[in-house]
Amino acid sequence: MATGEEKPVMVVGIDESEQSTYALEWTLDRFFAPYAPNFPFKLFIVHAKPNAVSAVGLAGPGAAEVLPYVDTDLKHIAARVIEMAKGICQSKSVDGAMFEVFEGDARSILCDVVDKHHASLLVVGSHGYGAIKRAVLGSVSDYCAHHAHCSVMIVKKPKIKH
Amino acid sequence: METYVDAIGVDTEATTTTETTAKQNKKKLKVMVAMDESKNSFYALEWAVEHLRDVISAEPETDQAGGLLTLVHVHPTYLQYIYPSGGTASAMYAIDSVPESMKKAREESTTKLFTRSLEICRGKLMKTETMILEGDPKEMICQAVEQTHVDLLVVGSRGLGMIKRAFLGSVSDYCAQHAKCPILIVRPPRETSTSSSTKEHKSK
Repeated sequence: MATGEEKPVMVVGIDESEQSTYALEWTLDRFFAPYAPNFPFKLFIVHAKPNAVSAVGLAGPGAAEVLPYVDTDLKHIAARVIEMAKGICQSKSVDGAMFEVFEGDARSILCDVVDKHHASLLVVGSHGYGAIKRAVLGSVSDYCAHHAHCSVMIVKKPKIKH
Repeated sequence: METYVDAIGVDTEATTTTETTAKQNKKKLKVMVAMDESKNSFYALEWAVEHLRDVISAEPETDQAGGLLTLVHVHPTYLQYIYPSGGTASAMYAIDSVPESMKKAREESTTKLFTRSLEICRGKLMKTETMILEGDPKEMICQAVEQTHVDLLVVGSRGLGMIKRAFLGSVSDYCAQHAKCPILIVRPPRETSTSSSTKEHKSK
Protein backbone atom coordinates (compact mmCIF):
# COMPACT_ATOMS: atom_id res chain seq x y z
CA MET A 1 0.00 0.00 0.00
CA ALA A 2 2.87 2.33 0.77
CA THR A 3 4.41 2.12 -2.67
CA GLY A 4 1.29 2.91 -4.65
CA GLU A 5 0.28 5.73 -2.36
CA GLU A 6 1.04 9.29 -3.29
CA LYS A 7 2.85 11.42 -0.81
CA PRO A 8 1.19 14.65 0.24
CA VAL A 9 2.66 17.66 -1.52
CA MET A 10 4.39 20.54 0.20
CA VAL A 11 5.10 23.79 -1.61
CA VAL A 12 7.68 26.17 -0.17
CA GLY A 13 7.66 29.72 -1.50
CA ILE A 14 10.96 31.55 -1.47
CA ASP A 15 12.35 34.91 -2.40
CA GLU A 16 15.79 36.40 -1.92
CA SER A 17 15.25 37.47 1.68
CA GLU A 18 16.89 36.06 4.78
CA GLN A 19 13.50 35.17 6.21
CA SER A 20 12.83 32.95 3.23
CA THR A 21 16.12 31.16 3.63
CA TYR A 22 15.38 30.65 7.28
CA ALA A 23 11.94 29.30 6.50
CA LEU A 24 13.32 26.84 3.97
CA GLU A 25 16.04 25.65 6.30
CA TRP A 26 13.65 25.29 9.22
CA THR A 27 11.22 23.29 7.12
CA LEU A 28 13.90 21.01 5.76
CA ASP A 29 15.38 20.53 9.20
CA ARG A 30 12.13 19.55 10.84
CA PHE A 31 10.24 17.82 8.10
CA PHE A 32 12.77 16.30 5.76
CA ALA A 33 16.32 15.87 6.94
CA PRO A 34 15.65 13.38 9.76
CA TYR A 35 13.61 11.12 7.53
CA ALA A 36 15.92 10.49 4.63
CA PRO A 37 15.30 8.81 2.31
CA ASN A 38 11.62 8.40 3.08
CA PHE A 39 10.50 11.97 3.19
CA PRO A 40 6.95 12.42 4.42
CA PHE A 41 6.15 15.00 1.75
CA LYS A 42 6.83 15.59 -1.91
CA LEU A 43 8.58 18.94 -2.04
CA PHE A 44 8.20 21.76 -4.54
CA ILE A 45 10.27 24.89 -4.06
CA VAL A 46 8.81 27.87 -5.89
CA HIS A 47 10.24 31.29 -6.57
CA ALA A 48 8.13 34.07 -7.97
CA LYS A 49 10.20 36.39 -10.10
CA PRO A 50 8.63 39.80 -10.17
CA ASN A 51 7.72 41.08 -13.58
CA ALA A 52 10.17 43.70 -14.77
CA VAL A 53 7.35 45.98 -15.78
CA SER A 54 5.66 45.77 -12.42
CA ALA A 55 8.96 46.23 -10.63
CA VAL A 56 9.77 49.43 -12.45
CA GLY A 57 6.22 50.66 -12.52
CA LEU A 58 5.12 53.57 -14.56
CA ALA A 59 8.25 55.41 -13.57
CA GLY A 60 8.23 58.02 -16.26
CA PRO A 61 9.90 58.61 -19.58
CA GLY A 62 13.09 56.67 -18.93
CA ALA A 63 11.28 53.48 -17.97
CA ALA A 64 11.44 51.77 -21.34
CA GLU A 65 15.22 51.99 -21.49
CA VAL A 66 15.67 50.71 -17.99
CA LEU A 67 13.47 47.68 -18.50
CA PRO A 68 15.98 45.32 -20.13
CA TYR A 69 18.47 45.98 -17.32
CA VAL A 70 15.88 45.41 -14.67
CA ASP A 71 14.80 42.25 -16.42
CA THR A 72 18.33 40.84 -16.53
CA ASP A 73 18.83 41.80 -12.94
CA LEU A 74 15.69 40.02 -11.87
CA LYS A 75 16.69 36.95 -13.83
CA HIS A 76 20.01 36.92 -12.01
CA ILE A 77 18.29 37.25 -8.68
CA ALA A 78 15.96 34.39 -9.52
CA ALA A 79 18.85 32.19 -10.58
CA ARG A 80 20.71 33.03 -7.39
CA VAL A 81 17.69 32.22 -5.26
CA ILE A 82 17.26 28.83 -6.87
CA GLU A 83 20.96 28.07 -6.59
CA MET A 84 20.86 28.88 -2.93
CA ALA A 85 17.80 26.72 -2.42
CA LYS A 86 19.46 23.84 -4.23
CA GLY A 87 22.52 24.31 -2.05
CA ILE A 88 20.46 24.17 1.12
CA CYS A 89 18.71 21.01 -0.01
CA GLN A 90 21.99 19.39 -0.84
CA SER A 91 23.57 20.30 2.46
CA LYS A 92 20.69 18.60 4.24
CA SER A 93 20.71 15.64 1.87
CA VAL A 94 17.20 16.31 0.75
CA ASP A 95 16.84 15.11 -2.77
CA GLY A 96 13.85 14.76 -5.00
CA ALA A 97 12.79 18.37 -4.54
CA MET A 98 11.45 20.11 -7.63
CA PHE A 99 12.37 23.72 -8.26
CA GLU A 100 10.13 26.10 -10.16
CA VAL A 101 10.33 29.74 -11.10
CA PHE A 102 7.37 31.70 -12.28
CA GLU A 103 7.07 35.29 -13.31
CA GLY A 104 4.53 37.57 -11.80
CA ASP A 105 3.03 38.43 -8.47
CA ALA A 106 4.11 36.11 -5.67
CA ARG A 107 0.68 35.99 -4.08
CA SER A 108 -1.22 34.66 -7.03
CA ILE A 109 1.64 32.46 -8.18
CA LEU A 110 1.85 30.64 -4.88
CA CYS A 111 -1.88 30.09 -4.77
CA ASP A 112 -1.87 28.85 -8.36
CA VAL A 113 0.99 26.45 -7.71
CA VAL A 114 -0.88 25.03 -4.75
CA ASP A 115 -3.84 24.33 -7.00
CA LYS A 116 -1.71 22.92 -9.76
CA HIS A 117 0.03 20.38 -7.58
CA HIS A 118 -2.93 19.80 -5.24
CA ALA A 119 -0.64 20.65 -2.38
CA SER A 120 -1.54 19.78 1.19
CA LEU A 121 0.67 22.42 2.64
CA LEU A 122 2.13 25.75 1.60
CA VAL A 123 5.10 27.09 3.51
CA VAL A 124 6.13 30.73 3.40
CA GLY A 125 8.46 32.90 5.39
CA SER A 126 7.33 36.14 6.86
CA HIS A 127 9.04 39.49 6.89
CA GLY A 128 7.36 40.30 10.14
CA TYR A 129 6.20 43.68 9.01
CA GLY A 130 4.26 45.82 11.40
CA ALA A 131 0.79 46.99 10.61
CA ILE A 132 1.77 50.01 8.56
CA LYS A 133 4.37 48.29 6.43
CA ARG A 134 1.89 45.53 5.82
CA ALA A 135 -0.66 47.99 4.59
CA VAL A 136 1.79 49.70 2.28
CA LEU A 137 3.93 46.84 1.01
CA GLY A 138 1.39 44.09 1.32
CA SER A 139 2.08 40.76 2.82
CA VAL A 140 2.43 37.62 0.78
CA SER A 141 2.13 35.40 3.82
CA ASP A 142 -1.06 37.16 4.83
CA TYR A 143 -2.56 36.81 1.40
CA CYS A 144 -1.67 33.14 1.20
CA ALA A 145 -3.04 32.44 4.65
CA HIS A 146 -6.33 33.93 3.53
CA HIS A 147 -6.58 32.64 0.00
CA ALA A 148 -4.60 29.47 -0.57
CA HIS A 149 -6.74 26.40 -0.99
CA CYS A 150 -4.63 24.36 1.37
CA SER A 151 -3.19 24.64 4.84
CA VAL A 152 -0.53 27.30 5.20
CA MET A 153 2.50 27.33 7.45
CA ILE A 154 4.13 30.67 8.14
CA VAL A 155 7.67 30.34 9.44
CA LYS A 156 9.07 33.37 11.16
CA LYS A 157 12.66 34.05 11.90
CA PRO A 158 12.83 34.66 15.64
CA LYS A 159 13.90 38.18 16.44
CA ILE A 160 17.11 38.21 18.43
CA LYS A 161 16.78 40.57 21.33
CA HIS A 162 19.95 42.51 22.00
CA MET B 1 20.23 13.20 26.84
CA GLU B 2 18.86 12.48 23.38
CA THR B 3 20.50 9.55 21.67
CA TYR B 4 22.21 11.12 18.71
CA VAL B 5 21.41 8.63 15.99
CA ASP B 6 23.86 8.48 13.10
CA ALA B 7 22.80 11.49 11.11
CA ILE B 8 23.70 10.74 7.53
CA GLY B 9 24.26 13.76 5.43
CA VAL B 10 24.20 16.35 8.15
CA ASP B 11 26.97 18.83 7.51
CA THR B 12 29.06 18.46 10.63
CA GLU B 13 32.06 20.49 9.62
CA ALA B 14 30.24 23.78 9.65
CA THR B 15 29.92 26.58 12.19
CA THR B 16 28.41 26.26 15.62
CA THR B 17 24.99 27.44 14.50
CA THR B 18 24.76 24.54 12.08
CA GLU B 19 25.82 22.21 14.84
CA THR B 20 23.04 23.32 17.11
CA THR B 21 20.54 23.01 14.30
CA ALA B 22 21.95 19.59 13.54
CA LYS B 23 21.29 18.57 17.11
CA GLN B 24 17.81 20.01 16.86
CA ASN B 25 17.27 18.04 13.66
CA LYS B 26 16.85 14.88 15.58
CA LYS B 27 14.52 16.34 18.12
CA LYS B 28 10.87 15.79 17.53
CA LEU B 29 8.62 18.79 17.44
CA LYS B 30 6.65 20.29 20.25
CA VAL B 31 3.38 21.21 18.63
CA MET B 32 0.54 23.18 20.13
CA VAL B 33 -2.95 22.95 18.68
CA ALA B 34 -5.50 25.60 19.58
CA MET B 35 -8.95 24.16 20.06
CA ASP B 36 -12.39 25.53 20.36
CA GLU B 37 -15.70 23.79 19.83
CA SER B 38 -15.85 24.51 16.13
CA LYS B 39 -15.79 21.81 13.50
CA ASN B 40 -12.85 23.59 11.92
CA SER B 41 -10.82 23.12 15.05
CA PHE B 42 -11.35 19.38 15.14
CA TYR B 43 -10.51 19.15 11.48
CA ALA B 44 -7.28 21.05 12.20
CA LEU B 45 -6.42 18.57 14.92
CA GLU B 46 -7.11 15.61 12.66
CA TRP B 47 -5.04 17.15 9.89
CA ALA B 48 -2.20 17.85 12.29
CA VAL B 49 -2.27 14.33 13.70
CA GLU B 50 -2.23 12.86 10.23
CA HIS B 51 0.44 15.01 8.62
CA LEU B 52 2.59 15.87 11.59
CA ARG B 53 2.56 12.48 13.18
CA ASP B 54 5.95 11.76 11.63
CA VAL B 55 7.52 14.80 13.16
CA ILE B 56 6.03 14.36 16.61
CA SER B 57 5.80 10.67 17.35
CA ALA B 58 8.50 8.77 19.11
CA GLU B 59 10.40 6.16 17.19
CA PRO B 60 11.08 3.23 19.46
CA GLU B 61 13.28 1.49 16.86
CA THR B 62 15.80 4.29 16.73
CA ASP B 63 15.29 5.14 20.37
CA GLN B 64 14.26 8.59 19.34
CA ALA B 65 12.35 10.42 22.02
CA GLY B 66 9.09 11.85 20.81
CA GLY B 67 8.00 15.42 20.91
CA LEU B 68 4.90 16.73 22.50
CA LEU B 69 1.43 17.58 21.34
CA THR B 70 -0.33 20.17 23.47
CA LEU B 71 -4.02 20.86 23.06
CA VAL B 72 -4.92 24.26 24.34
CA HIS B 73 -8.41 25.58 24.88
CA VAL B 74 -9.08 29.11 25.96
CA HIS B 75 -12.22 30.06 27.80
CA PRO B 76 -13.13 33.38 26.40
CA THR B 77 -14.23 35.87 28.96
CA TYR B 78 -16.71 37.77 26.97
CA LEU B 79 -19.06 40.42 28.12
CA GLN B 80 -21.92 38.00 28.06
CA TYR B 81 -20.80 36.84 31.44
CA ILE B 82 -21.52 40.21 32.88
CA TYR B 83 -24.96 40.23 34.35
CA PRO B 84 -27.00 43.28 33.59
CA SER B 85 -27.97 43.94 37.16
CA GLY B 86 -29.14 47.36 36.27
CA GLY B 87 -27.44 50.70 36.39
CA THR B 88 -23.93 51.62 35.38
CA ALA B 89 -22.47 49.51 38.17
CA SER B 90 -22.97 46.41 36.05
CA ALA B 91 -20.20 47.53 33.71
CA MET B 92 -17.73 47.22 36.57
CA TYR B 93 -18.78 43.67 37.31
CA ALA B 94 -15.74 41.46 37.69
CA ILE B 95 -15.58 39.15 34.75
CA ASP B 96 -14.50 36.11 36.66
CA SER B 97 -17.44 36.04 38.98
CA VAL B 98 -19.17 33.75 36.59
CA PRO B 99 -22.29 32.19 38.10
CA GLU B 100 -21.95 28.58 39.19
CA SER B 101 -24.26 27.13 36.60
CA MET B 102 -22.33 28.70 33.78
CA LYS B 103 -19.07 27.44 35.25
CA LYS B 104 -20.41 23.93 35.33
CA ALA B 105 -21.72 24.14 31.80
CA ARG B 106 -18.37 25.42 30.68
CA GLU B 107 -16.51 22.62 32.40
CA GLU B 108 -18.77 20.07 30.81
CA SER B 109 -18.26 21.40 27.35
CA THR B 110 -14.50 21.58 27.88
CA THR B 111 -14.42 18.00 29.08
CA LYS B 112 -16.39 16.93 26.04
CA LEU B 113 -14.05 18.86 23.82
CA PHE B 114 -10.94 17.27 25.25
CA THR B 115 -12.43 13.80 25.30
CA ARG B 116 -13.17 14.10 21.64
CA SER B 117 -9.73 15.56 20.92
CA LEU B 118 -7.86 12.90 22.82
CA GLU B 119 -9.85 10.29 20.96
CA ILE B 120 -8.42 11.69 17.75
CA CYS B 121 -4.89 11.51 19.13
CA ARG B 122 -5.19 8.02 20.47
CA GLY B 123 -2.90 5.29 19.30
CA LYS B 124 -0.59 7.58 17.39
CA LEU B 125 2.41 7.21 19.69
CA MET B 126 2.39 10.89 20.56
CA LYS B 127 2.69 12.30 23.99
CA THR B 128 -0.35 14.51 24.36
CA GLU B 129 -1.25 17.00 27.03
CA THR B 130 -4.10 19.42 27.48
CA MET B 131 -4.10 22.99 28.68
CA ILE B 132 -7.00 25.19 29.68
CA LEU B 133 -6.58 28.92 29.79
CA GLU B 134 -8.88 31.76 30.44
CA GLY B 135 -8.98 35.13 28.83
CA ASP B 136 -8.86 36.57 25.37
CA PRO B 137 -8.19 33.59 23.09
CA LYS B 138 -5.76 35.25 20.73
CA GLU B 139 -3.61 36.77 23.42
CA MET B 140 -3.64 33.73 25.64
CA ILE B 141 -2.59 31.47 22.81
CA CYS B 142 0.33 33.70 21.89
CA GLN B 143 1.33 33.89 25.53
CA ALA B 144 1.18 30.12 25.90
CA VAL B 145 3.39 29.76 22.85
CA GLU B 146 6.00 32.02 24.38
CA GLN B 147 5.93 30.37 27.75
CA THR B 148 6.08 26.79 26.63
CA HIS B 149 8.53 27.35 23.75
CA VAL B 150 6.67 25.20 21.28
CA ASP B 151 8.10 24.67 17.82
CA LEU B 152 4.86 24.99 15.93
CA LEU B 153 1.38 26.35 16.56
CA VAL B 154 -1.54 24.81 14.70
CA VAL B 155 -4.82 26.65 14.33
CA GLY B 156 -7.94 26.17 12.27
CA SER B 157 -8.69 28.82 9.73
CA ARG B 158 -12.07 29.75 11.10
CA GLY B 159 -13.70 29.05 14.40
CA LEU B 160 -16.92 30.10 15.93
CA GLY B 161 -17.03 33.43 14.18
CA MET B 162 -20.29 34.38 12.66
CA ILE B 163 -18.77 35.90 9.56
CA LYS B 164 -18.92 32.98 7.18
CA ARG B 165 -17.50 34.94 4.33
CA ALA B 166 -14.27 35.62 6.16
CA PHE B 167 -11.49 33.43 4.91
CA LEU B 168 -9.57 33.64 8.10
CA GLY B 169 -10.88 33.97 11.60
CA SER B 170 -9.73 36.71 13.92
CA VAL B 171 -7.80 34.44 16.27
CA SER B 172 -5.93 32.73 13.45
CA ASP B 173 -5.16 36.07 11.88
CA TYR B 174 -3.88 37.56 15.11
CA CYS B 175 -1.75 34.52 15.89
CA ALA B 176 -0.31 34.50 12.38
CA GLN B 177 0.96 38.01 12.96
CA HIS B 178 1.95 37.86 16.60
CA ALA B 179 2.90 34.33 17.58
CA LYS B 180 6.58 33.96 18.26
CA CYS B 181 6.85 30.59 16.58
CA PRO B 182 5.94 29.24 13.15
CA ILE B 183 2.22 28.86 12.69
CA LEU B 184 0.30 26.38 10.62
CA ILE B 185 -3.19 27.38 9.54
CA VAL B 186 -5.25 24.38 8.57
CA ARG B 187 -7.80 24.99 5.91
CA PRO B 188 -10.70 22.57 5.63
CA PRO B 189 -11.37 21.10 2.23
CA ARG B 190 -13.72 23.18 0.16
CA GLU B 191 -17.31 22.16 0.46
CA THR B 192 -17.69 22.19 -3.30
CA SER B 193 -17.13 19.32 -5.71
CA THR B 194 -13.63 18.56 -4.50
CA SER B 195 -14.75 17.34 -1.09
CA SER B 196 -15.52 13.80 -2.29
CA SER B 197 -12.17 13.51 -4.02
CA THR B 198 -10.30 14.63 -0.92
CA LYS B 199 -12.06 11.91 1.03
CA GLU B 200 -10.76 9.29 -1.36
CA HIS B 201 -7.33 10.87 -1.34
CA LYS B 202 -7.13 10.47 2.40
CA SER B 203 -7.75 6.73 2.38
CA LYS B 204 -4.93 5.49 4.59
